[in-house]
Amino acid sequence: MNKLVMNFLVTEGYVEAAEKFRMESGTEPDIDLATISDRMAVKKAVQCGNVEDAIEKVNDLNPEILDTNPQLFFHLQQQRLIELIRNGKIEEALEFAQEELAPRGEENQTFLEELERTVSLLAFEDVSNCPLGELLDISQRLKTASEVNAAILTSQSHEKDPKLPSLLKMLIWAQNQLDEKAAYPRINNLSNATLEDPTV
Amino acid sequence: MNSSNTNNGQSNNGKSSRLVGINRDLGLYFLELARLRSSAAPTEMEEDEEEAPKELNTINSSGGFLVVAPDKLSVKYTTVNLHGHDVGVVQANKPAPVKCLLYYFEIYVKDAGAKGQIAIGFTNEGFKMRRQPGWEVNSCGYHGDDGLLYRGQGKGDAFGPTYTTGDTVGGGINYASQEFFFTKNGVLVGTVCKEKEMKGRLFPTIAVHSQNEEYAYLLVHVNFGQKKFAFDLKATQERLKRQMTIEKISLPPNISYGLVRSYLLHYGYEDTLSSFDLASKSTIPPVYIAQENGFDEQDIGYALNQRKILRQLIRNGEIDAAISKLRDWYPQIVQVGALEEAVKYGRIELAKFFRLAGFYDLVQDCAALLAYEHPQESCVGYLLEESQRDLVADTVNAMILSTNPNTQDMEGCLQSYLERLLRQLTACCLERRSANGEQGEAFLLRRVLNS
Repeated sequence: MNKLVMNFLVTEGYVEAAEKFRMESGTEPDIDLATISDRMAVKKAVQCGNVEDAIEKVNDLNPEILDTNPQLFFHLQQQRLIELIRNGKIEEALEFAQEELAPRGEENQTFLEELERTVSLLAFEDVSNCPLGELLDISQRLKTASEVNAAILTSQSHEKDPKLPSLLKMLIWAQNQLDEKAAYPRINNLSNATLEDPTV
Repeated sequence: MNSSNTNNGQSNNGKSSRLVGINRDLGLYFLELARLRSSAAPTEMEEDEEEAPKELNTINSSGGFLVVAPDKLSVKYTTVNLHGHDVGVVQANKPAPVKCLLYYFEIYVKDAGAKGQIAIGFTNEGFKMRRQPGWEVNSCGYHGDDGLLYRGQGKGDAFGPTYTTGDTVGGGINYASQEFFFTKNGVLVGTVCKEKEMKGRLFPTIAVHSQNEEYAYLLVHVNFGQKKFAFDLKATQERLKRQMTIEKISLPPNISYGLVRSYLLHYGYEDTLSSFDLASKSTIPPVYIAQENGFDEQDIGYALNQRKILRQLIRNGEIDAAISKLRDWYPQIVQVGALEEAVKYGRIELAKFFRLAGFYDLVQDCAALLAYEHPQESCVGYLLEESQRDLVADTVNAMILSTNPNTQDMEGCLQSYLERLLRQLTACCLERRSANGEQGEAFLLRRVLNS
């Protein structure tokens, strides 16, 4: 049980909590805790829009991650372009798009489409209210951040998702399956785990 | 070199027509063909209109070195005394279908010769038919002679056992997880991540080769699903489908977060909790816990700090200090806790505590603990000590929780929400199994954690 909790803390990147939990419960984490801090630093950098910083950090961590993951690298560069546009650095953005992103777009059709979509942000006067505004939304950063996070975890041969949520999903599924066969005390509210008697 | 190979190929193609004719009556042969054609495609798929591979490609194969029998399901390596790179390669007539959960095919090594090398794998359309799958980029192959897995990186990776005459080997693509997988004699050998670059259509591919053999005789049969697979594909598909259904279930937001938090509260891991709370405030976006949860947490947050201190003392083996703290804070528990004396002065005395209804189990645990905390009195010794301390710490924790006047049920003191959920999961799985006539898998947390 402690292991399950530790797995959650580690995968979600609660490094200090994981450290405390190791001391308080004696549970050994399944990954070197120091690597979590590095991973979280990368994630945070993307979340705050410091993509350049993030790329540098990933390469410090393990240069193979970006080499073997062109899609991730493209998404990071794309995010960088978005940040430039957000900050109104139009010329710089254009230059960056031409020099760094365009060659990648030539290699890959999907990349090209995404690049075109991003660059068309430049055509709008008021970017936050344009149909492509979602690219500027915080959720785009979070998406990129979690992609990097997952890639780093995979590179450390660790699963990219904690086990707890899938166990909860399994419970919902198992209960649904059982519903067809029998009436039994059911847990309907996961957050307080109360057994409810079957309605007869 | 090339032209001589082509010549070679032609002459061998001439021989190959005899290969099938040898042991077969022509009528039976056609009958079998008809049966094969009418049988189901390799994988059962809904809404699948893609054509699956049914036979080997006889046109684009390295004809110089191998012969595909007219049934297009057998490959024979024919040439003698050739070089290491004279590999006979053949692809399926169609690429593996992609609009399905997974694709799978098998080969049966009828005869690997004395030094035969066989490889199974997947290659892309423009693959060089002189190369083993895995030797080139955009290909992947499990090689029989060394058991290594090649992925176009010049060297193989340790993967599985070798295979030779008499073995059935399978190769598959799992589209859901984007992995290749290989099997030997019906058992999964392993999976390997499908490189993102390996886009485009992938062809089931086999390669045969033999070196320095006087007369090479290699014979490999291919099974694109016409015959029953040695590997239980159905079970794998079922599992995959189930897994995907489960993955699609949506959970209330932050439910895992809330459960972990309540677990920490329940067991009095106060320091962890405060780090956890601090960290979750600074995440982007911050985690909000639904208000209704706060209500419940008042109960499990009861006496958090005291429980934390006691757990620490017990884990460090400072039982005396723990007991004196307990005496100060919870005299009603220490009545029971006076057990310690009982252990020392005579176990008979314990019996009367056992009669205290409701505390029976707890006291029993305590007794066990106390016994083990004094190694000189314990027959089990140090080995159990650590886990035993945890057990005692949990028990004391539960006892303190039970002194909360708001507590309604004793059961709740022993288990966090998280544990209750997992027990329910275990129970549901067992119940479901018994409903299915005791068939099916049980849920084992240990297995999930170690996978």
